[in-house]
Amino acid sequence: MNSAPAIANHAGASDSRKVSVAQILVYELRVRDAMSKELITAAPGDSLRSIQNLMKARKISGVPITGGDKLLGLISIEDIINALSNAYIDEAAEKHMAHNVIALRDHFSLVRAVAEFDRHEFGRFPVLDSNDRLVGVITRGDITNCLMHHLERRAEEAVAHEAALVAERSADEKAKRVVVRVHVKSGDFDSAGRLSQRLRQVLRDRGIDPDARRRAAIVAYEAETNIIIHSIGGDITATVCPEQVTIDAVDRGPGIENIDLAMQEGWSTAGPLARSLGFGAGMGLPNIKKCSDRFEIHSELGPGTQLHSEILLRKAASSS
Amino acid sequence: MKTQTDIKLQSLLTVIQAEPLTDEVDASLSGCYISDLLSDVLAHSQPGMLWLTIQTHRNVVSVAATKDIAAVLFTCGRRPETSIVVEAAEEGIVLLTTPLSTYEAAGKLWEAGLRE
Repeated sequence: MNSAPAIANHAGASDSRKVSVAQILVYELRVRDAMSKELITAAPGDSLRSIQNLMKARKISGVPITGGDKLLGLISIEDIINALSNAYIDEAAEKHMAHNVIALRDHFSLVRAVAEFDRHEFGRFPVLDSNDRLVGVITRGDITNCLMHHLERRAEEAVAHEAALVAERSADEKAKRVVVRVHVKSGDFDSAGRLSQRLRQVLRDRGIDPDARRRAAIVAYEAETNIIIHSIGGDITATVCPEQVTIDAVDRGPGIENIDLAMQEGWSTAGPLARSLGFGAGMGLPNIKKCSDRFEIHSELGPGTQLHSEILLRKAASSS
Repeated sequence: MKTQTDIKLQSLLTVIQAEPLTDEVDASLSGCYISDLLSDVLAHSQPGMLWLTIQTHRNVVSVAATKDIAAVLFTCGRRPETSIVVEAAEEGIVLLTTPLSTYEAAGKLWEAGLRE
């Protein structure tokens, strides 16, 4: 006879693609996060009447019967009702308890737990850890409470995040700082120049001297096209402050094999498509260096290349 | 730093057989630069120049805008797509095309007095 508790073995989760926060939580949270860890149990030799009293006192509708930390069976409120109407309420629990109890594992996702509640129509499941030890009991109410609690926490986090963004923006405003970020995709020649265009606009609006404006735009443009031509993609951030523009271009690889060579004018590894479009003159990095007041480049084969450039600004003289 | 008096683009159109692509052709030229390599143009052209190239990709407009180039002349009868002309117009850059080769166009521009 196999009296070991059966573990619910089937996830009935539907595979819908619409994902809300609650749905994410249902997948992320585990049974152990929601279950009640306060174990109210009875021994096999306890009378059904004592279990009835326990249920009444603790306001619960089912009691796991345990030997040590092993789950042996379960007495539900129906078992008590049957015992009362058939007059065996004073007999021992082990004589009448359900032996093949269906339990949940503590690592199950809540979505799985909900599916098991739907499938079995039980009010509660005992929860076992991976060593078959009884570690808790879970009800639908526990799941709801757990979800509400976490939703609330997510909502608070979202509010805090929003507040941090606002603070960052006002710090930018105070420092008269404008940050322009673009994501650059490999081979996307049609998008080249997005960053430099926005940067030019910002600098023009600020009345920055045209020479510095052009130098910043050249650095931005060359950095963009470098990522498009040579890397598998990356991001460029241009930060405009009153006294300087900082441009940071970071790609995700493959990196430059020989930076000294790459810094030489005329040396290029651009492919035929890039060359046919007029790229690959081998002047990108030298141009960036020439236009920067401060220039740094680090590259590692594999992780990729980080380029840092600073251009000092001054306001345009009355006529340009 | 102007060593020559700026030349009106308008006065050169017939000489180089140029067909304007943008509505606006009013520009004063500070000189001329010829290259089909974008980085080379970024490095060596000067603001207000006329740029001769056979490249018609939209990056030509980006580069021209970056360097405040006044006008771009596409040689050998090349024409960019309409969307690129629109982009150039928005940036205030004049686009022209000519059936002449780059060499012929350059010679005629030199003769007409554009010598920077």
